[in-house]
Amino acid sequence: MEALFYVFSIIAVFSALMVISMKNPLTSALYLVLCFFALAGFYVLLDMQFLAAMQILVYAGAIMVLVVLIIMLLNLSKIKKIKMDLHQVFIAMVIFIILLVEITIYILNGSLKKPTGIYTHALINKIGNTQILGEFLFTKYIFPFEVASVFLLVAIIGAYLFAKKKY
Amino acid sequence: MSINGYLIVAGIIFCIGMLGVLMRKNLIVIFMSLELMFNAANLGFVAVSNYLNLIDGDIFVIFVMVVAAAEAAIALGIAVAFYREKGTVDIDKAQELKL
Repeated sequence: MEALFYVFSIIAVFSALMVISMKNPLTSALYLVLCFFALAGFYVLLDMQFLAAMQILVYAGAIMVLVVLIIMLLNLSKIKKIKMDLHQVFIAMVIFIILLVEITIYILNGSLKKPTGIYTHALINKIGNTQILGEFLFTKYIFPFEVASVFLLVAIIGAYLFAKKKY
Repeated sequence: MSINGYLIVAGIIFCIGMLGVLMRKNLIVIFMSLELMFNAANLGFVAVSNYLNLIDGDIFVIFVMVVAAAEAAIALGIAVAFYREKGTVDIDKAQELKL
């Protein structure tokens, strides 16, 4: 488990760095898929196999296929010529380092309260994580679930409007 | 592995995503960096939820995925409209509101 955690974190951080540093957006997209797979591995380590499957199906499957399709529609040789501004990169790096140090200090010095729930590792594996998630989704979180469906409808209409030739 | 390891990995990925949003000028890459930040937040949710023996964080991850999917459709629609208007996806070309 410990070894798997380190393997997944190295893959995730390395591919995340590659996503933002590659010149070709198609390479970035493929590294992003790798990063999503590593995160799915984390979810399996955290007893949420259903979320890992959703991560691969929805993110690595649906969303990244959409991104690759859009890259195909655009002119790739023109996109690759977009240069980064050195001044802007310097400021971004400074903000990045400050935020990273801040987050690390807060996480290492902070203290979480003691576990309060009943869904321990043993109970989740006994009932099954998919069943637990389904029960929660259709009882306690039924209203957000319905709102999410309306939200997706809004997104469909919005995407249609943006893709039209004239607004 | 303790929860701190997961949270630190989530923090690092979030910072990398933010670095990408701040320094890149390609609209598509900025969008992908946003996805990285979403995923870092998801990892944090699942880790804390696992530590506290709760399920609510995992449910929230599903809703974040819904929002990310909707956002992908809209953002890529905007990218296509922008490309049709300007012939590029360089965000520095989007300056009409500048005085």
